[in-house]
Amino acid sequence: MFRQILVPVGGIRDVDEETVKLACRLAKINKGKVLVVYVVTVKRALPLDAEIESEIKKAEDILDNAEGIAAEEGYEVETDVLQAREVGPAIVDEAVERSVSLILMGISYKQRFGQFSLGNVVPYVLKNSPCPVILYQQHTVAGQD
Amino acid sequence: MKVMIMGCGRVGARLAALLDEDGHEVTVLDIDAYAFHRLPSSFRGTALLANGIDQEALKKAGIEECDVFVAVTQGDNRNVMACQIAKHIFNVPRVVCRIYDPLREEMYRALGLETISPTKIIAQLLREKVEKSGSQETEPEK
Amino acid sequence: MYIIIVGGGRIGYYLLKALLNEGHEVLVIERDPRVCKVITDELGSVCYRGDGCEAAVLAEVGTGRADIFVAVTGDDEDNLVACQVAKHKHNVPLTIARLRNPQNALLFKKLGVDVTISTTNIILEAIERAIPTHTLTHLLTIEEKGLVIVEVKIAQDSATVGKMVKDLTLPAGSSLVLIISHDGSVRTPAPNTVLRAGDQIIAVTTKDAEEALRATIRGL
Repeated sequence: MFRQILVPVGGIRDVDEETVKLACRLAKINKGKVLVVYVVTVKRALPLDAEIESEIKKAEDILDNAEGIAAEEGYEVETDVLQAREVGPAIVDEAVERSVSLILMGISYKQRFGQFSLGNVVPYVLKNSPCPVILYQQHTVAGQD
Repeated sequence: MKVMIMGCGRVGARLAALLDEDGHEVTVLDIDAYAFHRLPSSFRGTALLANGIDQEALKKAGIEECDVFVAVTQGDNRNVMACQIAKHIFNVPRVVCRIYDPLREEMYRALGLETISPTKIIAQLLREKVEKSGSQETEPEK
Repeated sequence: MYIIIVGGGRIGYYLLKALLNEGHEVLVIERDPRVCKVITDELGSVCYRGDGCEAAVLAEVGTGRADIFVAVTGDDEDNLVACQVAKHKHNVPLTIARLRNPQNALLFKKLGVDVTISTTNIILEAIERAIPTHTLTHLLTIEEKGLVIVEVKIAQDSATVGKMVKDLTLPAGSSLVLIISHDGSVRTPAPNTVLRAGDQIIAVTTKDAEEALRATIRGL
């Protein structure tokens, strides 16, 4: 059904774990590919191609973790670090470029200024994605972050 | 002294009235004639409908004879620009500029303008008040 | 090159598009969230919502590494302050401001704005150029050296028709650079060059000598 699944991970362990697991199980059905990406956002104060050691290290750790989770599922995933000014457009661009058939992303329950918030990334991806999107929200009791 | 005030808001009008009482020759500029209703009826100075960032208008208003130029419109940038015209084009001896934004205020002070940031001053005053009343309340408990 | 544009109005928008097409890294700073949205929806993450006069905003968008800073809002005072902050806080090598009031050109130059653009003046120059009389036309002003490059046309009834270049008493600081005949041929003026009706003369002069030069060439 989904030959190529793009999984953007954000570094929140529980959420990453569940989404990568779910992606692997979905991909297995058709022996599809899973592409796990982490987006390093570069502030305008730096050029887009700047190499920010600490951020890249963080990205690699997160992606290593994702690979580990996939391995537990007995599946192999491809990983990539993307560098961009904003996360949403980076995910959508990657989806377009790789012609993926699904974006599967996880979110945690977030509050901003005391209100439930989806943030910027999810609405952008939902609005601009070239393919179906599955959103996975980690179950948390409302109000507990 | 001949003083020109740009902006006839609450501060501008009050300053104009005070300086007028002290016997100075005051000219107030505003781009809205309605603003002049804030001036007291006893005001003897000149109220002029003029744009303080227009060099020609400033000249007509008599900026070349002024000793002091004060800019107190609502716009920081308007104040900054008018003061720089007064200082660098008309060589007014003393120029005072209100700048709400503390960061901008610091920069223009460094560039040689005489500046006042109400934001900084009021926040400091309130802080003193808050901290002072706090200590007064806790004192009797000791 | 990294180019920052303050003001996402029409000028800012088309400037952004053109510069992006040329392959530059460009960012527009715009206060109005609706304008930001329109730009972002069409062109991607190239618009930052904020006040381009605020030092904190300019720091956030990396003005320190910008090569060119352009302020094209509709208000002269905002353009001035934005350019001053870029120049004095972030040392941007080239600052360009749009002017509504052409009178502000001198002030802006004095205060550290490198280039000023006034639509009024550009239109005036176009009109000057289009009027087919023997008026003097400004081609270029070299502000820091006080020089102007002008064009003067020799009319049919001009007293200098048939005279040689050496017969003209040019005002101090002025020199003739080029003569373009009405048929389009170009001559470099020599002392013996004869002036003809319809010649366009390109000359360098000072701001003060401009009028005297016009009078000389017209043979007054």
